[in-house]
Amino acid sequence: MRASRGSGYVDRALRTRWAGAIVLAAAMAFGGMNTAAAQTKPEGEMRFAMYVTLAPAWFDPGESAVGVLTPFWVMYAMHDALVKPMPGQRSAPSLAESWTVSKDQRVYEFTLRSGLKFHNGDPFTADDVLFSFKRSKAALLHEKVKEVVAVDPIHVRFVMHEPWPDFMTFYGTLVSGAGWIVPKKYMEQVGPEGFKRHPVGLGPYKFVSNTPGVELVLEAFEGHWHKVPTVKRLVFKSIPEATTRLAMLMRDEVDVAYLLDASLAETVKRTPKLKLAFSGGIGTTYIDFLDMWDPKSPWADQRVRQAASLAIDRKAISEAETLGASPPNGNVVPPGFEFALKIPADPYDPARAKQLLAEAGYPNGFDAGDLYPWPPYFSTGEAVTGYLGAIGIKSRVRTMERAAFYAALATKKLKGLCVCVNAVYGNASSRLSETVPSDGVFAYGGFPDVDEMFRAQTVETDVGKRENLLHKLQQTLHDRFRFAPIYDYVWASGIGPRVEEPALMLIAPYPWAAPLEEVRLKRP
Amino acid sequence: MKQFIARRIGYSLLSLLLLSLTIFLFIRLTGDPASLLAEPGASAADIAAIQKKFGLDQPVWYQYIYFMGNLLRGDLGESFYYQTPVLELYLSRLPNSLLLASVAMSFSLLLGIPTGILAAVRVGRFWDTVGKFFALLGLSLPSFLVGLLLILFFSVYLEWLPSSGSGGFLNLLMPAFALGWYFAAAHMRLTRSSMLEVMGSEYIKLARLKGLPEFKVIAKHAFKNALIPVMTLAGINLINMINVAVVVETVFAWPGIGRLLYEGISFRDFPIVQGVVIIGGSMIVAVNLLVDIVYAFVDPRIRLEA
Repeated sequence: MRASRGSGYVDRALRTRWAGAIVLAAAMAFGGMNTAAAQTKPEGEMRFAMYVTLAPAWFDPGESAVGVLTPFWVMYAMHDALVKPMPGQRSAPSLAESWTVSKDQRVYEFTLRSGLKFHNGDPFTADDVLFSFKRSKAALLHEKVKEVVAVDPIHVRFVMHEPWPDFMTFYGTLVSGAGWIVPKKYMEQVGPEGFKRHPVGLGPYKFVSNTPGVELVLEAFEGHWHKVPTVKRLVFKSIPEATTRLAMLMRDEVDVAYLLDASLAETVKRTPKLKLAFSGGIGTTYIDFLDMWDPKSPWADQRVRQAASLAIDRKAISEAETLGASPPNGNVVPPGFEFALKIPADPYDPARAKQLLAEAGYPNGFDAGDLYPWPPYFSTGEAVTGYLGAIGIKSRVRTMERAAFYAALATKKLKGLCVCVNAVYGNASSRLSETVPSDGVFAYGGFPDVDEMFRAQTVETDVGKRENLLHKLQQTLHDRFRFAPIYDYVWASGIGPRVEEPALMLIAPYPWAAPLEEVRLKRP
Repeated sequence: MKQFIARRIGYSLLSLLLLSLTIFLFIRLTGDPASLLAEPGASAADIAAIQKKFGLDQPVWYQYIYFMGNLLRGDLGESFYYQTPVLELYLSRLPNSLLLASVAMSFSLLLGIPTGILAAVRVGRFWDTVGKFFALLGLSLPSFLVGLLLILFFSVYLEWLPSSGSGGFLNLLMPAFALGWYFAAAHMRLTRSSMLEVMGSEYIKLARLKGLPEFKVIAKHAFKNALIPVMTLAGINLINMINVAVVVETVFAWPGIGRLLYEGISFRDFPIVQGVVIIGGSMIVAVNLLVDIVYAFVDPRIRLEA
């Protein structure tokens, strides 16, 4: 079977190319137009005020850890992947123009675009793909892939030990950076440290300068295969203070100010020259009942967990935290994910919640101990504590510093409740992998039948059967109130008057501007 | 005198050794940076690999000896987060911090000293009350609030000044004011108390009895002597401004050493925190040493007492 998922794209691309050629020929014949004139030259500078400090490690796809989304912030600018999420496509052919999967689903063969060059002029070949894969930190990919072979300069073959239905999820989405390509020759010349000082890639923007902790400057790469950017320079400025980001936006010192809380977003709303944009949706905020696996805990009773879920006014929290932009969800998997089961959020019904508590033997509620909010979303934790308190479940918010929290959560040292965030990219399977199976890194326990369902779907090669398994699994989790999902977190950014297209949410769910060749400034 | 200087140098080196040990141990009490660098959900193997890469898997005593060995060679180590030598990062931020600190210090002295003198010569009267109020505000208003109010007023509403960043003289005004006000208040208080002390001394009374004009008594006889402790404090404050203007530099996105320290603390970047603290500490120790030696030259009683 040569089931090319990219073939439709190629056909469309060929048709588009032919149509374009005819139009161009006609234009040249009638107007003496040439291709250089038809291409709009990149112009202007677009400045982003970021809330994080860019790490040079993000400049190297080989340093990208599995499940960490932040490096893609700059990787979408400077680098490119064989296959990657693009507007409207979960895994769009990029540096690979197509790929095939063998009948036994053990062999994936990619056909690379020919004639592409890195920012420094080095040609892009199959060797770069092999080299980049070998450098990748995606341990699971290395474990599952038996060998990678450069068939010829434009064909690369991945051979699995056994069929692995999630290969393209790990290689062709943002679960890992394994499919993102670095130039082998250049990397060997300068070494990883030299590469981080002056990265070279295949992306729409090339590196100009990086002042650590201050700003990263990029310039349009006019040789980009997909689209020549219309904005000449991009500047990413690290501005940790949100009020300062907003002030910079109001003064036209930046064009996009990321991550503004509700009160600052209101200011943007009230300022006529600015626009408010919402992005995100990758992180689902939910309550994890950490003590539910202890039979003596009130949380062991499913009715108590259901009561907690019914006690939460999700819309009100969304309104207070994100001006209502975060859609309530009844699942920890976002609805747009592959294999996601759409489950409506539980209604806000404190009367029913109290009744359930009474039925469970807690008519006056109980002391639930500590509640740990995921840093830095402490106000969401406080809101949840308030709602639980209203039905008699007392809890105390315990805020923790980021690293201490992650370490304590992962080593299963927390007790009580966690208002957690799941932001693992990919599909429903990868999304649930850290919290649902008993051996998940953040799982404090598990159901044997759910463990078995989870294991079965990881090896199921029939897409339909796999979907059924994953839907059943998600429904089971919901029926047992394994979690109390709250909402898919969507946050506000301010957009300045010079911006025509900030490229936010062109790829959904993805929180930052991408693909960056699509950002546009208004032209006179 | 030689013995005095040698002893002072010995004390200074001991202070630096204790400082290095203290910061080295205290920063490690904040936890393991590998868990931050590896991000949530990282496997134990990932975390162990990071610990190994940065030598965090070694015993603490070994890490300290290794750190001190490098320090003696002038190597402050490499930042975990930026993967760049700390000295390079420090030196790249130093010009910005020096500029900000110089302007903030000038502002604090120009405002603090005259206000302090005025409050001292008009003690218990209107200008003294104004001075005290000014000092109260300067010392009690948190600099992040002052910074944000300045941005709101001068940048957003009046649109006179850029809101943040570096690059031009106008960028410098608000952070320098926000940073300098606290120190201006401190200088004002010290000038006032120092002036009051001097104004009550015998030689000032004598100068007045001789019939010197009050302006001359204050400017020539009182002020000069009252200035010595103020200038000593200003020297130490200048070093603090250079190295620990954390809040002001963060609010104004000023790319200085204070912000570098903030980043180091946020990411548990031990080499950055250790480097900034040790360089800052060395500056303070050096200034104190210099002051001690100068005092000893000027006033022989000091070296004899010592």
